[in-house]
Amino acid sequence: MRKFAALFLSLTLVCGLAACGGGGDNGESSDGGSAPEVQSDEADEADTADEGGSGEGVAINVIAAQYGQNTTKWWDDFVKDFTAEYPDIDLKVEVESWNDIYTVVNTRISNNDAPDILNIDVFANYQADDLLLPAEEFVSKETYDKMYPAFLEQSDVDGTIWAIPDLASARALYYNADILKAANVEVPTTWDELTEACKAIKAYDSKIYPWGVDMTTDEGQAAFAYYTWNNGGGFVDDDNNWALNSAENVEAIEYAISLVNDGYTNSDPANDTRYDLQDMFGAGQVAMMIGPNSIPTYIADGGYSINYEVAPIPTNGGNDSVSAGVMDRFMCFDNGYSDAEIEAIKTFFDFFYEDERYSEWVLMEGFLPATSTGGEILAEADESMASWVDIVGSCNFYPTAKTEWDDVKQGVINVEQQALLGGNVQELLDELQAEIAE
Amino acid sequence: MKNKFFRKIEPYIWILPSIILMAVFILIPIIFVFRMSLSDVSKAGIIKGFSGFANFTKVLNSSAFKLVLKNTIVWTVAVVCLSTILGFMLALILNNEFRGRKIARAIMVFPWATTLVIQASAWKFIIDTDYGTLNTLLLRLGIIEQSVNWTPTPEAYFTWEIACGIFVTIPFVTFCVLSGLQSIDSTYYEAATVDGANYWQKLFQITLPLVKSSLTVSTVLNIIYVFNSFPIIWTITKGDPANHTDTLVTYLYKLAFYNGKQGQAAAVSVIGFMILLVCSSVYMIYTLRKGDD
Repeated sequence: MRKFAALFLSLTLVCGLAACGGGGDNGESSDGGSAPEVQSDEADEADTADEGGSGEGVAINVIAAQYGQNTTKWWDDFVKDFTAEYPDIDLKVEVESWNDIYTVVNTRISNNDAPDILNIDVFANYQADDLLLPAEEFVSKETYDKMYPAFLEQSDVDGTIWAIPDLASARALYYNADILKAANVEVPTTWDELTEACKAIKAYDSKIYPWGVDMTTDEGQAAFAYYTWNNGGGFVDDDNNWALNSAENVEAIEYAISLVNDGYTNSDPANDTRYDLQDMFGAGQVAMMIGPNSIPTYIADGGYSINYEVAPIPTNGGNDSVSAGVMDRFMCFDNGYSDAEIEAIKTFFDFFYEDERYSEWVLMEGFLPATSTGGEILAEADESMASWVDIVGSCNFYPTAKTEWDDVKQGVINVEQQALLGGNVQELLDELQAEIAE
Repeated sequence: MKNKFFRKIEPYIWILPSIILMAVFILIPIIFVFRMSLSDVSKAGIIKGFSGFANFTKVLNSSAFKLVLKNTIVWTVAVVCLSTILGFMLALILNNEFRGRKIARAIMVFPWATTLVIQASAWKFIIDTDYGTLNTLLLRLGIIEQSVNWTPTPEAYFTWEIACGIFVTIPFVTFCVLSGLQSIDSTYYEAATVDGANYWQKLFQITLPLVKSSLTVSTVLNIIYVFNSFPIIWTITKGDPANHTDTLVTYLYKLAFYNGKQGQAAAVSVIGFMILLVCSSVYMIYTLRKGDD
């Protein structure tokens, strides 16, 4: 009898486990099990009503990137407000960390369970597989017209815009004013001045790293952008073709590596992430670094108290200073929607981009707006924000609309790290260019 | 008749839950990975069709793969061998009667019981040039006058990662060997002492042969665990700079989730699986056959 009881329990356990792992039709991937999913009580009730056969409810499933500690709470409030105003729309928002979001999305796509709306940084790979809807099909004209045209162009493939920007950040030079003053140097505007400033700071205090460099797997592509864009080069040429091994790029990377080899930078650029640099900058151990507009928040939250200021990124060869912009997006997967579902998705975006709500979204984690109306509101509210809004409106962006971007991004990081180990920059960039052109 | 039939199938019923679990959570994913390695997979994760061995060819022809494979072999051999030797020595010490033995055994469990990511983060924090505790300690003690860069080269980083790997692997070996040591009858040693055997003769003629099965189990399991270990290297260096500290597991993770080359990542996974299968099988067959002889 005992044997039968144990056998029965074992089989029950196995069946139970199998049932747990077998979900998937309802859009709740088992991979996303650990992710916080935001759904209001009202939405639960609406769900029950749908199952009851009212037939009027429409469900929208969103996967959103987790920008920081406030993101999940913000979406939670958003869903509550949205559901209160549109009870017929069952909105579910799954917030995923940047470490997990690509895995979760790709797994869901390969299981034919793509989300309706995705908030992430890249879109070209999904577009290349014909998985997306053109932006103008899922966003109302009124909302679409709010976007900065320069931002929309970043999601242009063959004349069609496939994604809309949700927020942006821009980069600039941060410097410790006290250290520069003590070392008796001016804020550098050119590479020559930068080298001289590094020399002077090193002479003033050999324990301080004059210049912060991040060439890690996480953000080495940003270092490539800072130096090449400010030397007249970049990832692509004027015809938007890959131009990774241009003379300007070779000179730019060689200059960055020379700063490391001359001992003017942090000791381990291949492993010191931007956050390590920000901590060292906050602690007064790094005198100058290029970083995002969120650094003031980071320094304040970290309890650091240094006297720092912001300036344009130093350039070479008489080029204008170019700031690097980073932009994230919303895209809509083509899941064969009815007219009612498309209207619900448009309603979602109209609600999200309402000026006041959108300003809150942008300020939530210290980012910059991607809409002109949002920019105006923020510039009026905060003077320091006004200069950043100007910068972000004119900065360069990574060519993420090209499907080779993933390879280029990892490729330039590899080039930088090989160069740090003594590799020849020209040869490395030639190899990368040939590999990408294949 | 009924009873006889039930007796016949009873063992199969008992192992059925395990078989179902293994099929669902091990076999099916392995089949999926093999399928993916032979497929053309888009960057969005969609299988576009059969591509033969194209993914394997691309992987094997890349210069990074050779470096990564070499790293993986060095990593596995160094961690498994050194942790086995050190773990064996520690087990011998812990098998002796001494005051505080229970506490010593409990302390041994700590590295094993702590999450690998935490362990690796702690090691990273210790060896950091700028804010590391090792430099701080040595500066305070007056042993050094200024901070030392403990990781000036990729090889130095890799050595620290191996040291971390050994540190977290030793407890497992120690407890495996300890369980073997405790099952050895003390009369063997008494007889050997009467016959005039010294410490080393007892160690090599009695202890080692009798704990061989425990060592085999720990070594085979360690080969698999260490070969597939991800958190230590990922937390400390992410395989940087330029793949110089990558092993197959961190390399395939980058291929899949940073480069979007899931087909090639699956191919690396299959290559790793085959290497492990061959190594573990050869080692087990060799050791167990020798044991039978």
